[in-house]
Amino acid sequence: MTVLRTSMRNFFAHKGRMALSAVAVLLSVAFVCGTLVFTDTMNTTFDKLFAATASDVTVSAKSASDTGATTADNGKPPVMPASVLDRVRKARGVKSAEGSVFSSAVTVVDADKDSLSPSSGAPTIVGSWNANDARTMKITEGAAPKGSDQVMVDEDTADKHHLRLGDEVGVITAVGTHTAKVSGVAAFQVTNPGAAIFYLDTATAQKTLVGEPDVYTNVNVTAASGVSDAQLKKSVAAEIGAGFKVQTAEEAADANREDVGSFLDVMKYAMLGFAGVAFLVGIFLIINTFSMLVAQRTREIGLMRAIGSSRKQVNRSVLAEALLLGVVGSVLGVGAGVGVAVGLMKLMSLTGMNLSTDDLTVAWTTPVVGMVLGVVVTVLAAYLPARRAGKVSPMAALRDAGAPADAKAGAVRAVVGLLLTGAGGAGLYLASAADKAAEGSLWLGLGVVLSLIGFVVIGPLLAGFVVRVLGAIVLRAFGPVGRMAERNALRNPRRTGATGAALMIGLALVACLSVVGSSMVASATEELDKSVGTDFIIQSNNGNGQRVTPQAVQAVKSTPGLARVTEYKVTEADFTTPDGKTLDGTAITAADPTYASDLRVETVAGNLADAYRPDSMSVHEKFAKDHKVELGSRIAVAFRDGSTARLTVRAITSSDGVIDQGAMYTSVATLKKYVPADKLPLDALVFATAKDGQQDSAYTALKAALHDYPQYVVRDQTDYKQELKDQIGQLLNLIYGLLALAIIVAVLGVVNTLALSVVERTREIGLMRAIGLSRRQLRRMIRMESVVIALFGALLGLGLGMGWGATAQRLLALQGLDVLEIPWPTIIGVFVGSAFVGLFAALVPAFRAGRMNVLNAIATE
Amino acid sequence: MTSAVTIPRHGGTGGRTAVAARARQVVKAYGAGETRVVALDHVDVDIARGQFTAIMGPSGSGKSTLMHCLAGLDTVSSGQIYLDETEITGLKDKKLTQLRRDRIGFIFQAFNLLPTLNAIENITLPMDIAGRKPDQAWLSQVVETVGLADRLKHRPTQLSGGQQQRVAVARALAARPEIIFGDEPTGNLDSRAGAEVLGFLRRSVDDLGQTIVMVTHDPVAAAYADRVLYLADGRIVDEMFKPTAETVLDRMKDFDARGRTS
Repeated sequence: MTVLRTSMRNFFAHKGRMALSAVAVLLSVAFVCGTLVFTDTMNTTFDKLFAATASDVTVSAKSASDTGATTADNGKPPVMPASVLDRVRKARGVKSAEGSVFSSAVTVVDADKDSLSPSSGAPTIVGSWNANDARTMKITEGAAPKGSDQVMVDEDTADKHHLRLGDEVGVITAVGTHTAKVSGVAAFQVTNPGAAIFYLDTATAQKTLVGEPDVYTNVNVTAASGVSDAQLKKSVAAEIGAGFKVQTAEEAADANREDVGSFLDVMKYAMLGFAGVAFLVGIFLIINTFSMLVAQRTREIGLMRAIGSSRKQVNRSVLAEALLLGVVGSVLGVGAGVGVAVGLMKLMSLTGMNLSTDDLTVAWTTPVVGMVLGVVVTVLAAYLPARRAGKVSPMAALRDAGAPADAKAGAVRAVVGLLLTGAGGAGLYLASAADKAAEGSLWLGLGVVLSLIGFVVIGPLLAGFVVRVLGAIVLRAFGPVGRMAERNALRNPRRTGATGAALMIGLALVACLSVVGSSMVASATEELDKSVGTDFIIQSNNGNGQRVTPQAVQAVKSTPGLARVTEYKVTEADFTTPDGKTLDGTAITAADPTYASDLRVETVAGNLADAYRPDSMSVHEKFAKDHKVELGSRIAVAFRDGSTARLTVRAITSSDGVIDQGAMYTSVATLKKYVPADKLPLDALVFATAKDGQQDSAYTALKAALHDYPQYVVRDQTDYKQELKDQIGQLLNLIYGLLALAIIVAVLGVVNTLALSVVERTREIGLMRAIGLSRRQLRRMIRMESVVIALFGALLGLGLGMGWGATAQRLLALQGLDVLEIPWPTIIGVFVGSAFVGLFAALVPAFRAGRMNVLNAIATE
Repeated sequence: MTSAVTIPRHGGTGGRTAVAARARQVVKAYGAGETRVVALDHVDVDIARGQFTAIMGPSGSGKSTLMHCLAGLDTVSSGQIYLDETEITGLKDKKLTQLRRDRIGFIFQAFNLLPTLNAIENITLPMDIAGRKPDQAWLSQVVETVGLADRLKHRPTQLSGGQQQRVAVARALAARPEIIFGDEPTGNLDSRAGAEVLGFLRRSVDDLGQTIVMVTHDPVAAAYADRVLYLADGRIVDEMFKPTAETVLDRMKDFDARGRTS
């Protein structure tokens, strides 16, 4: 009991000093809980949506996917003849059934040809207005579409794009462009996370989306009372026979959930990963806090020991304080987590994803996970300092207590640290030398972990060296104040090491990812320069992979100034290789023979141009090796939606390279021979090459030609590279944003160390002020100490991260990431930024030191 | 009530005036109302230049407070304090800091040195802070005088208590301040080491013309001074010139007896 009482008193006596550690625990726990609440809420939202939108039983074409994502290779949704509807109606247990048509392979534009699609990557759906939709949507303005010139739009989209009744909207599909005027606006009765939805009447939808009357993509079936969905499914399936996909509401919802769920899971685990990094950084902060508290309390602990406390009791009293800290931090963290989740939801709404706080879902596991994690991590982190406290001898009570003696980094630490770092380095070396990706990744992971731990362990030793060097470069200019700042940073290398290491972790990840990211861009750029022989690429400008329609291809082909235009299609086929194996659903690329000059792919055998001869194809090296295919081998290729061809392998391409990696080529002409014209896949990409010297004018002309096709974008090589760079840059920015959490915790650590150091050095500060150090000089001294610690962490982190990044690049070179590019502006930016972070961290401690009363300071024992 | 003490204004060595520091009607009070405690009660004092002055008195008599006020470490409630001709009462922190840095030297009872700096760095610290170059000849003379020539590169933890205080004395002397204040500079030392330090202080007054004010409760230490001021209840109650340990002790016994009977 006494132990607990002492701990409680100590805890509350030092609540200021505990505050920063508590904030670190709070932030980490809040991020974990926030992530959990946020993803749970998203799940709830989608669950509600799927449950609300699915009819009791849905019938769709056999080739439709489970989730109802409906694009076929020919750019149209797979459909069923209208006769299916009549047959469904005859089935037992059917109360009602209706046919509907919808497609997400669409682009919808306003009168100015600006896209109305969501920017968040959520789908754009155009469909027929049916009773099933009327269940979940309420018309808030105007009326449902009637006739070919009317379209109804969902309320969110109407609001976002300021669409009013009577405004013109263009629906662009593989069939063509259909123009209609807004007849009504309908609002979802559940939360719609962000899809843009447009409704036409059934006949118009059929004509616009499929191009033929009397077809449906779905038949929505409602069960008669007393008939379960499963029973209904059975009787419908029996009535219409095989050749259709029949799903109950639950099955459809499950399929949708699985589809969204995998995305949500990736997001959840990625965010939890970053929360983990923040926790790791928080551990350093907690260790430092308790180490300093124990050091400051050495005399008190010595007294406790002298009057009979056992080591265990002292040890336990420190752990009890940690427990208290963990509990306080975690409880606040769990609460803040809900706030974080709401914040994330608001953030998502900026990107166009609507989530309602009505759906806020806090599972009972969330607070439990947060609490357990926060408390366990805090107590574990405090374990080492607690043990050190237990080792304080009773003699400490009698010794003169000035500032705690300078801690020396031990020889054991040096040996262990060097061994770990060495092992880490060896792991990284093996990773860079590995010739198998799987094996290399293992070494890389091992190398990263070991080198990180190694750096943390030898951090205090490195601190001595690095701080001296930094001091010589940066601080000497500031005379005695700089010198004292340097000495102060050096006086407890373990503390400086741990504080710097906390910053190191976040910055190492930043450096590593920036190296990998810029190497990706550089490698891709180099490969583009090396192998691409065409000037322009035309492709869908949003993520839905909308194919290029024949009309658009025609528009490209009739553009003046072009030397050649290459069509590029991708389809799937079942391969039967000479070794007798059948490979279902293998991707095959069909291109015009000019593609051989548009993209120079290295061959290991044969001539790629020959692959475009009739009934010929190419395979890539790895495929050839795996399936014992040689030049002249014949592969039976059963095209989807077509017949089976026997194609002769006339070229084997290298498996390296980033562009079109692992593609197997045949000619469009060959494809046409085996796939009927109406099932022929549309072009995934179109390449155009200008006549010599007409690149600029051709680019302008192409852009003009595609003006009527806002669903496509044309890019020349420069723009394409820029786009690539922007995409990777965006991804990196997102990751940096998430790493900011870990860096914030590390900055708190620097603040904490400085604040406690200032308290610890009260007497010294008093002495210096007495003999004439001005407040400004004092503040500057503390700021510089902070800057040096921050720069130390940055230097270690950036060095380590660049090492990891370079190793990862060597490893990824196996996959064509040939060029190592160190993004010096980023690296230098981070380094300089760290100095500012140091200045910022020192603001409050320096201010408080300056405020210190000189007399009290010298009087402090 | 103020006991006007007659202060002899004899000339010091090389000063602009005979008086290095003055206090006029200085009051220092803490708290207000019933809890008001008066530490200094209308004190008038002149510190003669080139002299070694000791301030004595029982605990709580206000001797440390007086020194802190004279040295610009503490503020007064009312009254004026002059360092030479500069009035320091009412100066802002910045000016006070500069004043302490450039014109005053300090020797505290303990914890005089920065543990991160070695002996010579500690000695030159006030000048370093001010951005001034130390006078090398003077510095060597000071170092020589305090007998630290072979210990200059040592850190404070590598020095004995006496050596540490000698470094503190050297630091106070090195910048040639107008006045050095010592707050029981030998309080933590054994008698031999204490005698050494006091010897240096005495010699710096005799040989170098330094002005020193020292707070002590040790009659032996006070005997090194030219003049002893006695404080009781925040007032200067007596003074003695050319003291010896015996006379100081007798005078203190006298006060004690008076204190008990009054």
